[in-house]
Amino acid sequence: MRPVDLVVAEGLGRRFGRVVALHDVWLRVREGSCLLLAGPNGAGKTTLLRILATALRPTAGRAWVCGYDVISQGPRVREVCAYLGPAPGLYSALTGWENLCFAADLCGRPRALARQLMARVGLEGVAHRAVGTYSLGMRRRLALARVFLQEPRALFLDEPFVGLDEPGVRLVEELVREVKARGGAVVLATHERERAWRMSDAVAVLRSGTLVEHTPSALDHPKNRCAIFGDPGPPPLEGFFRDALLGAGSGRPLRHTDRGGVAGVLP
Amino acid sequence: MGWRRVHAVARKDLLVEWRGRDGLLPAGGFGLAVLLVLGLVTGGSAEAAAAVLWVSVLLAAVLVVGRSTEREGEEGTLETLLLYPGSREELFWGKWLALAVLVAVLAAALWCGQVLLFNASPRGWAGLGLVVVLAAAGLGAVGTLFAALLHHVRAGRLLLPLLFLPTALPVLLAGIRLTEAASRGTPPEPWLGVLVVFDGLFLLVGPVLYEVVVEG
Repeated sequence: MRPVDLVVAEGLGRRFGRVVALHDVWLRVREGSCLLLAGPNGAGKTTLLRILATALRPTAGRAWVCGYDVISQGPRVREVCAYLGPAPGLYSALTGWENLCFAADLCGRPRALARQLMARVGLEGVAHRAVGTYSLGMRRRLALARVFLQEPRALFLDEPFVGLDEPGVRLVEELVREVKARGGAVVLATHERERAWRMSDAVAVLRSGTLVEHTPSALDHPKNRCAIFGDPGPPPLEGFFRDALLGAGSGRPLRHTDRGGVAGVLP
Repeated sequence: MGWRRVHAVARKDLLVEWRGRDGLLPAGGFGLAVLLVLGLVTGGSAEAAAAVLWVSVLLAAVLVVGRSTEREGEEGTLETLLLYPGSREELFWGKWLALAVLVAVLAAALWCGQVLLFNASPRGWAGLGLVVVLAAAGLGAVGTLFAALLHHVRAGRLLLPLLFLPTALPVLLAGIRLTEAASRGTPPEPWLGVLVVFDGLFLLVGPVLYEVVVEG
């Protein structure tokens, strides 16, 4: 059976007054895959993720998540997706347990699941302490537990590794793996490209609000990990992709794309 | 409507307020100060008692509404709240319920303060209780709506009184007249009707408009 596109953006744009944050972005993410959204600061990655998660309305174009229109079917989109942004979005006056129970109540999930997740993210020992006393890493873990609780089909992660130690990073990897295994789709924006690379099936590069290029071929061949980028971007970005592509020893040379970038395929 | 979600939001807001004590306590202190100043200016006259009480309640309510908005902004929790599954109308109802409870507590505390400070007559307290509930419901609805509207606006906290006070004028007038009527034992018409219509209007349009304004 042909894989379904769970996340689709067509000509998506967003302006903040005179500032164009996102311009004419076309994107498709298939079920069971993870798209790494790369690009320098201010490229529009967060804006794109927030639009897809219905936190922000686009000023141009349309987008669908799991078949639901992000503009006209917001409540349906929110039932199937989860968004983890740079801020953990927790109430510091409440305990970790109360924060997670609140999330469980709003998502219609049993509190028993919340209890299991507190243990899974390693916070059961501090569950009854106010979140205001948590470290950044502990807050991020609690926010991850909230996303696990939602059991989303489409997952949007914005800088998910910030403040996390190695076990915390592994939790993010588990989360992505679980969503993909359920046949879901993940869109991941991060500057920690080395970590994200391992989890991703495709890469899209945004620069100045415009999608420079993305990887339809990776989606056509789910077993391949592929990267294509148009404008090579600033040296660290270019260097990363070159190293990643060549270092894997795929044996296939990089090729120049129509848009002046280079492309390659990882086995 | 999902009662579990409404209850969860209201409970959360009240719990955060209880733990932080940074909304109701300062607002209550401010309301008491206004009560004291206006009471002294009017010489603690029984005729002006109802007006003094409701002006104090309204001004203090502005602080409670402002603080509840500010808190969500400081912690960056509003976006997370908006991204939970389900309808945002339920978020409105939960926030309205919590705000109405806080305003009702504030009004009751200020009334007690007036009785203690100015030896005001506690007559008609049962009638006053009904007025407080209706006024709190109306102020809660207006406050929830404007808090959502101004959340995304720069200097929104400064604009809040400019929008909130004129809009809540019918509640102020009805509160004064109904409190006077309750203490004198006279019929509450037509001000009871004014208060009920005000509440009905804002509770009808509030949830619908909330969905639109909260996104910014």
